[in-house]
Amino acid sequence: MKVRVKLFGTLRQGFSGYQHPQGMEVEIPDRATVQDLLALLGISESQRPVVIVEGRILKADDRMRSGVPVNVMQVIGGG
Amino acid sequence: MKFIRVNMSKGTIRTGDVPQDYLGLGGRGLTSILINTEVPPKCDPLGPDNKLIFAPGLLSGTPLGNTSRVSVGAKSPLTGTIKESNTGGTISAALGRLGIAAVVVEGQAPEGELSFLRIDDKGNASLVPAQEYKGMRTYKLMKEILEAYGERNSVLCIGPAGEFGLTTASIQSSDADGLPCRAAGRGGLGAVMAAKGLKALIVDQRGTGGRRVADPAAFREANKAYIKIVREHPEPGHLMPTLGTAALVAPVNSMGAFPCFNARKGVMDGWEKISGETMAEMIKERGGNPTHRGCAQCFIHCSNVFVDTEGKYVTSSLEYETIWATGGMTGIADLDTIARIDYLCNDIGIDTMSTGVAIAVAMDAGYKEFGDREAAIEMVEEIGKGTEFGKILGSGPAAVGRHFNHDRVPVVKGQGVAGFDPRAMLGNGVTFATSPMGADQTAGNVVSPCLGGFLDPLQAEGAVEVSRNLQIFMAACDSTGLCFMATMALQEPEPQAVFRKAMNAILGTELGPDDWPRAMGIRVLKAEREFNRRAGFTNEDDRLPRFYYEEPLPPHNTVFVISDEELDSTFDF
Repeated sequence: MKVRVKLFGTLRQGFSGYQHPQGMEVEIPDRATVQDLLALLGISESQRPVVIVEGRILKADDRMRSGVPVNVMQVIGGG
Repeated sequence: MKFIRVNMSKGTIRTGDVPQDYLGLGGRGLTSILINTEVPPKCDPLGPDNKLIFAPGLLSGTPLGNTSRVSVGAKSPLTGTIKESNTGGTISAALGRLGIAAVVVEGQAPEGELSFLRIDDKGNASLVPAQEYKGMRTYKLMKEILEAYGERNSVLCIGPAGEFGLTTASIQSSDADGLPCRAAGRGGLGAVMAAKGLKALIVDQRGTGGRRVADPAAFREANKAYIKIVREHPEPGHLMPTLGTAALVAPVNSMGAFPCFNARKGVMDGWEKISGETMAEMIKERGGNPTHRGCAQCFIHCSNVFVDTEGKYVTSSLEYETIWATGGMTGIADLDTIARIDYLCNDIGIDTMSTGVAIAVAMDAGYKEFGDREAAIEMVEEIGKGTEFGKILGSGPAAVGRHFNHDRVPVVKGQGVAGFDPRAMLGNGVTFATSPMGADQTAGNVVSPCLGGFLDPLQAEGAVEVSRNLQIFMAACDSTGLCFMATMALQEPEPQAVFRKAMNAILGTELGPDDWPRAMGIRVLKAEREFNRRAGFTNEDDRLPRFYYEEPLPPHNTVFVISDEELDSTFDF
């Protein structure tokens, strides 16, 4: 399935052709989880990624859904 | 370490050793414990019995990086509670280098008298008549002070808002460029400073005689490890220098917890126009600086210099809370307007957060349309001019609500909330409701555990416990001079142990994990709570405004569901 991914924080730095605000379309297996998506994108745990879909923070083993926009961001503590 | 007491009624200054009761304390720990010991809890905050304390963090001015926060404390004229508001810049390190643990300003100058308090490079303090600076705005004031006393000085000062006695007036702090863009913004401490008759505190940066590192070899080792931890952490090491605190705009909107249009919605249409990512790009394209060092001894560089389309300076240190309050709450998705309001607030000497919320309440009451940029700027100008309506705005959101007889006023203990809606981030509702300071964004912000998956932002479970632990942690951090950004790398026991090693090596102490952060944080919170209780505050004051319990916030359409009993258990320690 395909999902449209938007990147935030410093995560865009790893994707030279990335265009915002369109984001990028990513092809993932039908039963892919959050973890699978991050692995496919090459985003490591050390970057403290957070995947937010429709206002909900997903867990690592939550399954991705087709056609729903995905925001990949980073943990931040405030200021 | 020295203790300076200034009596504004008599115009006298006493410099002595740190009193026994305050040994080992710094920053918020010192201001709060001193206030609880020495200030009559029911006193008039703008009268002679209140005391205004400037206390550098315990580690400020030492070689340990990112410890340049100075705490300003007093009884607040806005909340009526104890108040500590801390700010960055360069003055904390300057005071620390001089070996000054605190400057305590007491009494009240005779009506109409205005002074500077000057501390030279030998640590000698003197009061200097400053009549001619009456009413002066802070950018001009700081420029003139630095011209008169030399660039190697640090300044804390007030603008006209403080002199009008407005209860959301700030104290502005000089940044590394000598500009008044950093603020001890919360709680109206600028009005306390004005009531004392003090226009500015000016401290020479070239002082010596401060705290000597007790164990240099142990410090070198611990410091190296501390720098590595902070530099390699994705937030202070990478995210902060790239986007600053404005990086929060995206995740908080994505979570549906960004209070906008006076907290009627949790996601702002067009929030990407005011995101940290957009701002950094805009600043870069225009020739400003998105990675700016604002404070002494900082190796994070979370600040920025915002410029207009012609590359001309507009403001610096434009941060998340200001973007949220003056942009989100007012419905203004335009960074140029937000930056202009930020500059004006700093120049007038008024808290950007309270001002944004005050404008939003006025708009919500029908005074102007949400999103009206000119109206928002005009309202801030009115504060600076001291018009009748400007004085209402500068007295905070609750005063605006009373003026318009409007009951949707997002305040706790009279202080405007911060940019995280309690209905979509319940843990921050706990912090806003129970913090001894009134609603506050740094007292124990749960956004990080929410994003990290440790706390469900929409569930009550765990919210009180996480808020409690963070409130303890922050009270301990605020006592050391540590900046918020560095604390983000010190959340876990292991990095905390490294920081503690550095602290012990500097102070010659043997503090363990039970001592710092836990015991120190609890001691500070207990003193603050005790002061508030003696001032007449009860558990009933630890509540959110009614509408948070009754009015669902889109898009999650949730309300604040944590019971009063649960809130009252926050300080069960």
